[in-house]
Amino acid sequence: MLVYEIMQGEKRIIAGVYHLSKKLGRHFALQDISIQLANGEFAFLVGPSGAGKSTLLRMMYMDDIPDSGQVIMGSYVSTRIKRSTIPQLRRKIGIVFQNFRLLEDRTVFENVALAMKVAGTGLTEIKSEMADILTRVGLYHKRYEFPGSLSGGEQQRVAIARAVANKPAILLADEPTGNLDPIVTREILELLFRINSSGTAVLMATHDVELVRSFGQRIIYLQDGKIIKDKEMLFRGNLRDSISDSQVDHRARKFTDHRIGEDGNGTRRG
Amino acid sequence: MSGINGIKYILGESARMLKYRKISNLISVIIMGFSLLVLVIFILITLNVSMVIEKGMEEMCVYVYLEDGTSNKINEDIRTKLLGLENIKKVLFVSKEEALKKFGERLGKSSEILEELSVNPLPNAFRIHMKPECTTSVFMEKIAQTAMGWDGVEDVRYGKKWVEKGEKLVKGFYMIGLALGLIVLLSVIFVISNTVRLSILSRRESVEIMKLVGATNGYIQAPFLIEGAIQGVVSSLVAMALLWAACSFVGRYMPGLVFFRFEGVVGFVVLCAFLGSMGSFIAVRKFLKR
Repeated sequence: MLVYEIMQGEKRIIAGVYHLSKKLGRHFALQDISIQLANGEFAFLVGPSGAGKSTLLRMMYMDDIPDSGQVIMGSYVSTRIKRSTIPQLRRKIGIVFQNFRLLEDRTVFENVALAMKVAGTGLTEIKSEMADILTRVGLYHKRYEFPGSLSGGEQQRVAIARAVANKPAILLADEPTGNLDPIVTREILELLFRINSSGTAVLMATHDVELVRSFGQRIIYLQDGKIIKDKEMLFRGNLRDSISDSQVDHRARKFTDHRIGEDGNGTRRG
Repeated sequence: MSGINGIKYILGESARMLKYRKISNLISVIIMGFSLLVLVIFILITLNVSMVIEKGMEEMCVYVYLEDGTSNKINEDIRTKLLGLENIKKVLFVSKEEALKKFGERLGKSSEILEELSVNPLPNAFRIHMKPECTTSVFMEKIAQTAMGWDGVEDVRYGKKWVEKGEKLVKGFYMIGLALGLIVLLSVIFVISNTVRLSILSRRESVEIMKLVGATNGYIQAPFLIEGAIQGVVSSLVAMALLWAACSFVGRYMPGLVFFRFEGVVGFVVLCAFLGSMGSFIAVRKFLKR
């Protein structure tokens, strides 16, 4: 099960993609991608436009199916999941987009409440939790306003509030700061860090290498559908030797290689 | 999600669609209402014309004229033989006095000239009403041929030319009616399905967002089904109300005008409710599927 908890002292792999390939038209959008995310981890997925970041995230929330390879999100496995089970997965993960994707005809409160209603939460419970959720993103005082009257940063915070309303184990953010100015970008990043520190793993895709370099978090570099560098865990492809700031821990690499294995299924814990 | 929260959610979502999408719903209902109006006008006209035709055809009878002065026994024999024939609904005896009286009524004011007559020149006769489905020249001709040879029968007439004309008219009417009906029906379906599709297309983004936050297809579709059914009911009621108003106005000048029976109206509304929700269902399903 994908659960909202931190196992003290133990790392559990809560999300993983294994030897993932996807062709869009003639070229590979993703080619033999393998990544694992542990609970409570924060990772940036960095690469230029068209590198395959969004495609990879879409595979992870199972909006698209890979041509080969496998996605494992908690107990949901892409090769075995039924179409009717996908909504269950979506309720247990949070998703944030560059263009916010809020329902324009609903207030802030209703937008966040929708995610909870869909997950089967009753209105009483929603009301009692809403104050906490909206206070965390600093928008409780604007709960009755419509997205149209909010700034970009505020809209993104509503989207984030919606994404974490069901206390997901993992938050997938696809260029969440792409439409925002530098100051607001910082605020959103800080918000994501705060969410991460309360136990939700975050995978944030961005094209902005400069932005993420300073934080010392794990950075996964993606280019032309391939991972060219995964700062914390492994290197892949021919670029392996050319990477200068190698901090690779050989034991970690060995561990990861072992975990992923050649069968394409990966061994999975948690 | 299940049980009471689920039902509450669906009802809440349906209510919000009606509340926040007033203008869009209004436009849809107007477009659908007028399309349905065209359809029901067509159906009502067809219904009325076919009733007139049926009535006219019912009046087409075969007359068996008797020789002057036939005995009651011969008359009774002829009646029994006529009743033994196939495809006959009823046989009526029309005495010569009766016939004269009717003739007089038909002449109206000019009936005075009949008083000049010293003897009644009209014969006794049997009027034969055919079964409705057998009121055709073929069956009538058969009876005429048969009865012609009997004792006491002077002549058999059935207005051959009129019957044949009537048949052609009915055939033509039903052919044209069927063709026009198909065209009208197809255009109404086309207009309505496009209205539904456009209305739902404008909510494509919300449907996708709902999917992303983990709503099941059922929960996304349910409010659309309810909305479609309500649109179907309202637009069919609009069409019926307009038609009824038009009918009661035209009815002043055409007393014989018939409106649908109550059961017909209810059936039509129910059918539209069903079609409305089906239309929405199909339109939403198109972009739920990937």
